Amino acid sequence: MAENGEEKLIAVARHIAKTLGHTNTMTEDILRIFSNFDGRLREKLSDDGVKQTLNSLDRKISCFISADATIWSNSADFYSFLDSVDQLTAAVREWTPLADDKNISSSLDRAEDLLQRSMFRLEDEFRALMEPGAKSPDSTGGGAAHHPDYSDEDDDASVEDDDNCVPVAQPVTDYDVVVDALPAGTIGDLHEIAKRMVAAGYVNECSQAFSPWRKEFLEESLSRLGLQKLSIDEVNRMKWTQLEDEIEKWIKAINVALRILFPSERSLCDRIFLGFSSAADLNFMEVCRGSTIQLLNFADAVAIGSRSPERLFKVLDVYETVRDLMPEFELIFSDQHSLSLRNEAIAIWKRLGEAIRGIFMELENLIRRDPAKSAVPGGGLHPITRYVMNYLRAACRSRLTLEQVFEESVAPSVDCRDGDDKALSSSSSLGVEMAWIMEMLECNLEAKSKAYREAALCSVFLMNNWRYIVQKVKDNELGTLLGDDWIRKRTAKVRQYHANYQRSSWSKVLGVLKVDSNSTSPSGASKSLKEKLKLFNSYFEEICKTQSSWVIFDEQLREELRISVSGNLLPAYRSFIGRLHAAPDIGKHMDRHVRYSVEDIEARISMLFQGTSSGRR
Amino acid sequence: MPATDFQESSSSPSSFGFSILSRRRDQVHSMESTHEATSQEIELEAFQRQVAERFQDLAAADSHELLSIPWIRKLLDTFLCCQEEFKVIVMNNKSKLNRPPMERHISDFFERSVKALDVCNAIRDGIEQIRQWQKQLEIVLCALGNQRSIGEGQFRRAKKALVDLAIAMLDEKDSNTTLAHRNRSFGRHNAQREQRSFGHFRSLSWSVSRSWSAARQLQAISSNLVAPRGNEIISTNGLNVAVFTMNYVLLFVMWALVAAIPCQDRGLQTHFYMTRQFLWAAPILSLHERILEEVKKRDRRNSCGLLKEIYDIEKCARHMNELTDSIHFPLTDEKEREVKQRVEEVRRVYVAIRDGLDPLERQMKRRKMIWATVLGIKRVKSLNLLDGPSYLLKKLQFSPYQKKNIEQLKGIDTIIAKSKQAKNPTTAQRVNTPGALERPRLAEDLSSVYNPSLMQMLGAAKRASNFILFKDLWPPNSLKSKGK
Repeated sequence: MAENGEEKLIAVARHIAKTLGHTNTMTEDILRIFSNFDGRLREKLSDDGVKQTLNSLDRKISCFISADATIWSNSADFYSFLDSVDQLTAAVREWTPLADDKNISSSLDRAEDLLQRSMFRLEDEFRALMEPGAKSPDSTGGGAAHHPDYSDEDDDASVEDDDNCVPVAQPVTDYDVVVDALPAGTIGDLHEIAKRMVAAGYVNECSQAFSPWRKEFLEESLSRLGLQKLSIDEVNRMKWTQLEDEIEKWIKAINVALRILFPSERSLCDRIFLGFSSAADLNFMEVCRGSTIQLLNFADAVAIGSRSPERLFKVLDVYETVRDLMPEFELIFSDQHSLSLRNEAIAIWKRLGEAIRGIFMELENLIRRDPAKSAVPGGGLHPITRYVMNYLRAACRSRLTLEQVFEESVAPSVDCRDGDDKALSSSSSLGVEMAWIMEMLECNLEAKSKAYREAALCSVFLMNNWRYIVQKVKDNELGTLLGDDWIRKRTAKVRQYHANYQRSSWSKVLGVLKVDSNSTSPSGASKSLKEKLKLFNSYFEEICKTQSSWVIFDEQLREELRISVSGNLLPAYRSFIGRLHAAPDIGKHMDRHVRYSVEDIEARISMLFQGTSSGRR
Repeated sequence: MPATDFQESSSSPSSFGFSILSRRRDQVHSMESTHEATSQEIELEAFQRQVAERFQDLAAADSHELLSIPWIRKLLDTFLCCQEEFKVIVMNNKSKLNRPPMERHISDFFERSVKALDVCNAIRDGIEQIRQWQKQLEIVLCALGNQRSIGEGQFRRAKKALVDLAIAMLDEKDSNTTLAHRNRSFGRHNAQREQRSFGHFRSLSWSVSRSWSAARQLQAISSNLVAPRGNEIISTNGLNVAVFTMNYVLLFVMWALVAAIPCQDRGLQTHFYMTRQFLWAAPILSLHERILEEVKKRDRRNSCGLLKEIYDIEKCARHMNELTDSIHFPLTDEKEREVKQRVEEVRRVYVAIRDGLDPLERQMKRRKMIWATVLGIKRVKSLNLLDGPSYLLKKLQFSPYQKKNIEQLKGIDTIIAKSKQAKNPTTAQRVNTPGALERPRLAEDLSSVYNPSLMQMLGAAKRASNFILFKDLWPPNSLKSKGK
């Protein structure tokens, strides 16, 4: 009985619905009302309800799907389409557990078919929205990177967005810029589509529609920044000056990429795949991977390349660039998908450190291998001294970086950002390196000094070079690294060489002027005086002749040297002359014997060490 | 080909390299009875044997294993092992390697290694390419895999993925020609639209420029790679045999990678110097031959890579395509079973790739990194440690913070302790002609009288050198600009 009554009730309900509903949709609505009204109705009505819901959705969706024009261009249509898709997805989800029922099962098949066609259409819509210039047919490219404050005004979907696509390849001073590749309205639309596609399990299709354009955009941007794709081999073969230019471009490009382009892409992914963090991460990695690898490969090639010393400064630039961008790398590539990119950046950063240490080793090699025989005329400053000292001074301008680099060789896991407070204590490794290079130079100079046959010239040579070294070391970072003690010892060394010079050069002359107290007979004395004078004249002549061609590059040192020579020689000579005057047979004919007056001697001494220019003439 | 073949062939002519070493050792024994020389020669012989054994192992793979991802991984492992052993030889023989003619051989090896690094980068891109294909398979599985019943919609989805996959694989194969046509400008969406389906799977070879060619790179690696002659072997104590061996291994491994994995302008016509005189030559040449045979097979001739898994992708995609073309709805039970079977086939391929590619890529990266590091350091270190321990001891005396440095140096010290070598740096000195010296004023003056090696360094530093040497104007522009 009860069952019978129920059936009647259902029949009545159906009848009412059909009579009242002029259209299928209305009938459907009425049935839905009934089924909500009474749980018993729901079950019995569902069969039909399923079909009818499906029919209605099918009609709406098929209409959209078959449309030629893009759906998003009319936002009312667009949202109505999305609505239908939502209903369809919900229906599929609702019916799937009931699939054992034959009737429902066949409807479910149809629904899934419809869903699949909707997804294809959505994918096309998504792709069309992503396409550069999708919303403005006459795009010319070459736009500007926009500041966030005015780029967000492009909400209106028809505003041309292509201008926003390209960052300007002009010098960037302010990195606080976001590239709005797509207008906010478009991003919103894309998000709506992505939401549906991910929900329906079409995440792969969605990212295939998403990433290629963004990937291409990044690639394009890097090429607009002047960055070429270079293989390691090509970098290795490149002329250094050309490579220097490439490094400059690379530094700009990687900064723009890590500070502007990648964060912009990150936010784009986050906005489009809002609520699906895994899809956002995956797509972001997909988009940035190629460009990141391209950028890192270049740094890698620089790190692998030649170790010749003149490369130091540029390699330091590359090292510092990567180091300074590490926070960006860590921030941008922090999710599990892009972690490997970050690790690669760290590895290449370390490798650049190795390259820098390698360059210093190469410098050591060059110093050590520099032939000992090549002596500089006049005992002057050797080019190697100038080169090495100026090189080290210049290198020490990057002292903090170098300390970091050399510290890494001791403890590989030094965190760069602690660099500042460690500055003082970490000078050790770099200090050792500098002291070692100086030692190399010292050995090399000692060996070179042996090439001079005269001991005095040998001293002059060492004096010159050490004077220069001490001068270059004083009052700068290099001096701080080597320490006061080091400088003091080397200053003492210069003095030592000075004394050596005096001894080996002038002791013989001074010896001649010494009073011979043994001979007592006046005639004998005056005879020996005469001979001594002759000897003196010839020795002095000879010394002046050779030593006027010698070089003391430093004016002050030259003056010191002359003063000390005069200071030793003049008093002795003056007293010698005095004794000549006193000698009976010479005193009267002084002019005949004495070639140099004291003033003459002084004048000659002041002509010493002038180098070849005033030398042997 | 069974492994026994190699044993056979190695016994007769391939022991040539060996015998020369042995003969040399005998001479040494009889003349001076130096034990050091013997240990070095034992080391070199062991290297030959180990390389040969490893490649025999690789060559023992049956046709099913050959060129599969696990085989490629084994190949990379083999390469690394050889590289490690070679490194030890280099460390132990630094002094000899720094003198001609070995100096030249080593620097040739470095050059080849740099080229090989580029190949590795391209291969990494290729692996990424395969990963993209893997995603299409994933869609096929997603569409047909877990369904309650299989409807038209799912088939359409799978079919589309298969078409995209076919285009992507085709694209990769023709990458050279299609890439050349690419219009590099933003305002091209009209043209792009028409070929949209092509555009969105555009292969991007990131590491190298469009003109880069794997074939040319292999050619460059193989050029001038000739087995050393007998008298050279004797004069270098067999060291050049080790370098030649490593070069040959490098060439073969790169060639096999290019053969297996998609990359820009694959060409396998690289000339392989035919040598039978070394133990390892037989297995390597046999592998070479077998891989070439693979190339010639009809169904692989147009493939974008000989990797077995790529073949599997092609095969299962073809089967799937044939199936989707022949299908009518509603499905008969028989068809449905067939579909299930095909889907399982796709799943197997998918899983093999998914599980194989990640470790392979990690391996590539790791190898590349280790190798690059070694390369970079070796460039200098091999020269720099000439002095051996005395160099380091001296360095220690300097240290104001000795403790740290002792730690630092201990590692190197133990390495050096192993090597017993001359520490005379004078042999490394270059030719020098002082001539009549004038007081140098300009760089040009200097160049005529001054040491060529330093001058080279100065000349190359064109921009900086004038400042450094003669004007003391520092820093160069690069440093100035940094100051701000």
